[in-house]
Amino acid sequence: MMICMRPQSVPEPLRAVDDSGAPALRVTDLAKRYPTGTEALKGVTLEIDSGEFFGLLGPNGAGKSTLIHCVTGLARPTSGDVRVFGHDAVHRYREARLAVGLAPQDLNLDWFLTVAETLDYHGGYFGMARKDRRERAQELLETFGLVAKKDDRTRTLSGGMKRRLVLARALMHRPRLLILDEPTAGVDVELRLELWHYVQRINGEGTTILLTTHYLEEAEQLCSRIAFIADGQIVAEGSGRELADRYGVASLEDAYLELVGRNELSRARIAAEVS
Amino acid sequence: MTPGQIRLLSLTRREVTRFLKIKRQTIGAPLLETFLYMSVFGAALGSRIDTLHGFDYVVFIVPGLMMMGWAMNAFSNNSSSILQQKFQRAIDEQLSSPASPLELLVAFSLGGFLRGMLVSALTFAAAVALVDVGVAHVFVLVPALLLVGTFFSQLGVLVGVRAEQFDDVSFYQTFVLTPLIFLGGVFYSASLLPEPFRTLTKLDPVYYMIDLVRYGVLGYSETNIGLSLAFLFAAAAGLVAVNYRLFASGYRLRA
Repeated sequence: MMICMRPQSVPEPLRAVDDSGAPALRVTDLAKRYPTGTEALKGVTLEIDSGEFFGLLGPNGAGKSTLIHCVTGLARPTSGDVRVFGHDAVHRYREARLAVGLAPQDLNLDWFLTVAETLDYHGGYFGMARKDRRERAQELLETFGLVAKKDDRTRTLSGGMKRRLVLARALMHRPRLLILDEPTAGVDVELRLELWHYVQRINGEGTTILLTTHYLEEAEQLCSRIAFIADGQIVAEGSGRELADRYGVASLEDAYLELVGRNELSRARIAAEVS
Repeated sequence: MTPGQIRLLSLTRREVTRFLKIKRQTIGAPLLETFLYMSVFGAALGSRIDTLHGFDYVVFIVPGLMMMGWAMNAFSNNSSSILQQKFQRAIDEQLSSPASPLELLVAFSLGGFLRGMLVSALTFAAAVALVDVGVAHVFVLVPALLLVGTFFSQLGVLVGVRAEQFDDVSFYQTFVLTPLIFLGGVFYSASLLPEPFRTLTKLDPVYYMIDLVRYGVLGYSETNIGLSLAFLFAAAAGLVAVNYRLFASGYRLRA
């Protein structure tokens, strides 16, 4: 089942706001301390330009999901500033949230809804009129190969179908900033490649993308710029090549292994030792 | 419609869709319970009781059943719906939408409120069909039921937001709500109880709610109607204020 490469229709009013020239995401001195005392973010500062395909890499517990949750309103920052296309995402969040689409790592679909209802309700939560919701939902059902499943309850879908639906749902309200939190975790090679092609396509059409992934080849292939996050701080930023140069290694994977202090796992090093 | 109205309607539709999709459990079961109460208490037990304050026993219990249906369903719907969505993390979709705390609170409250209203209305319709009962004071009955529905739907929201496991919800339902409702005089008149049970019943806030509804339906009351309405309004408004603060702060909803 292919993901069709149909161009994404973007309504005129949203394009008009894009003219402001503000970055898609600007995070300044963002800190998040959980009630347990854990400091998940320690003054993160990050800027993603409009139209960029940006990768955020880091080990588990580094702060990637917390950062995403602060941007989308699922976590309350302790301090700092988050702006989406210039709009405050924390206090006066309405415009910011309208501009963001989140495809979370967890397949957090509503069990009571069908596939078509999932898209329709999501559009409603974002204030889309009924006619627009119907047209957009049909477009996404076709794009993601979900037409035959549209009346099925979400809990009956396979893992791959759920992943497609989560991505379709994130795109329903035509976000200008799409956040993909490990979108290819646990999906088969075929779907992964389909998703890669699709997100590259919509990025080419102007949608800014923030991707977190543990697949370094994915980040290397898709992202124009990558940031490493570790222990709640952005520790390095640049293209894959720039990051490799910065750590004095041959590849992004080796740079990442340097970051997490596991350079003994470097493929080049192991190959040299074996030979 | 404005985007805000569409948002509120969609959030509310989601809550209504949820209980309508499992209507055997959410509508059928409460109606069966009501039918059983009327059969067992009304027909079987009532045949041995002459009248209560001039009303057939089965007629006397109808207002309490209406109130109980609205209260229990408003509470259980909202507490379960919110906890389920927290468990599945499906609630993240609504929380990351542009919906305001007030829009979220109204939508989550209305689900249980409307389910309770449906059960209560069907209970009354069944009673009208089966026994000789009407409405004595519609201008007391309507605000009383609306306030009861608001109070218990807000209580359901409060417990659902605070709950971390299903046991937290069933605890309140089994050990707090059910005893308060049953001991509040659904099936009897407190004025007929011996002391200290009469005084103890009057300490139960649900007693005043049942009395309000009974006055609205039958025209019989044991309490001060104006004062009861005022206290019920204050309690419901207080819960709305507490819940609004929870949604605004993101307590146990946002990390």
